[in-house]
Amino acid sequence: MLLLLKPFYLQEPAAQEEFVKLVQEHRAMLYKVCRLYCFSEQDRQDLFQEIIIQLWKSYPRFRGESKFSTWLYRIALNTAISDLRKQKHRITPLDPDHLPTQIQDIQYSKEQEEQLQQLYAAINQLTEVEKALVMLYLEDRSYDEMEEILGINQNNLRVKMNRIKEKLRKITKKETAYGIGQP
Amino acid sequence: MELDSLKYVWHSLEVGSDQSAGSEAEIIALLHKRSRGPIAKMRRNLLGEIILVLATYIPTILFYLLDFEGRLSGIAWLLGLLMAVLAAYYYRKDRLLKEMQCVSCQVKSNLKLQVRTLKKYIRFYILSGTLMIPVMAILSYLLIRWKYPPPPGAALFYQVSGIAWWQSPLFWIGLLAPLTIGIYYVNVWYVNKLYGRHIKKLQELLEEMEGE
Repeated sequence: MLLLLKPFYLQEPAAQEEFVKLVQEHRAMLYKVCRLYCFSEQDRQDLFQEIIIQLWKSYPRFRGESKFSTWLYRIALNTAISDLRKQKHRITPLDPDHLPTQIQDIQYSKEQEEQLQQLYAAINQLTEVEKALVMLYLEDRSYDEMEEILGINQNNLRVKMNRIKEKLRKITKKETAYGIGQP
Repeated sequence: MELDSLKYVWHSLEVGSDQSAGSEAEIIALLHKRSRGPIAKMRRNLLGEIILVLATYIPTILFYLLDFEGRLSGIAWLLGLLMAVLAAYYYRKDRLLKEMQCVSCQVKSNLKLQVRTLKKYIRFYILSGTLMIPVMAILSYLLIRWKYPPPPGAALFYQVSGIAWWQSPLFWIGLLAPLTIGIYYVNVWYVNKLYGRHIKKLQELLEEMEGE
């Protein structure tokens, strides 16, 4: 009965298969969004699930007018930013036991690990909009694409980006002075 | 720490992705789950309300329509009228909730859309919540007068024979006006409790995106 209520397109196994393949190709990006916006594993899983559901619902309307990745970023960031639920498992951002699983799995040099810890600790102090900007910047998205995703004009984006860089510098300087984020 | 120097470390995160998470089967399983987003929750609550109203009103309407040899069918008409008003109310609310977000739009325009529609939704909520009781009271009064016209000289709802024509409506206005004002303030407080924090946060995000 429920299947009858679904749009016809979504019932096609080929469409589902195609969608799953595309999501798998871009899942690293989705994980990164979840990691930036959620503190705990449980919250990250919830957000990941919500993003997948929103992607699937919007998929029949994707006509390839923009790049798939642009479309994906829009949905992921819209879901993460608008989803203003209270985080269920808020933890201190610098707790090394709660570093994202993937980071724990990869062998980094000591210096890289320190930097990554500092980065996450600093990013956690940014606003939702600033996090989106940092994410797109680190993902090497052009200002054109950032504008297409966020809807902020490029001049404004550049100004904001410079401010964020400065803010991150200040945050990390303060943390280093207090020995926070050091393993 | 320079942001640019971290790009390499950031990109290397893709390499070590956990294979168990986000597997094909897991993603397919997620497609069949229900959204837990705020708007989806609001729509589910609305559906719950509609089901509750239908489950309460339909048997009651049928009872008054079929029992008592149809002598109390006026009450059934009244409830039917109330149900029609509620149907329009729920339809409008559902339309607003459907329009409330566009996840595939640009983040800023989606935020604008959410703020605009949520404000509209709140206005509608307050307006309909405030007017529902006085409007229904007036309609009920008119319907009862139509279905059960008082015999000449009889008193109905404090309408004593011999009083001036304007005294009865004045009495009702005097009763309904403070009640309506009270309901308005209760609604404003309740809506603020439900959506106040949410709309404030959305507005802050939008201001941040729009500001230089």
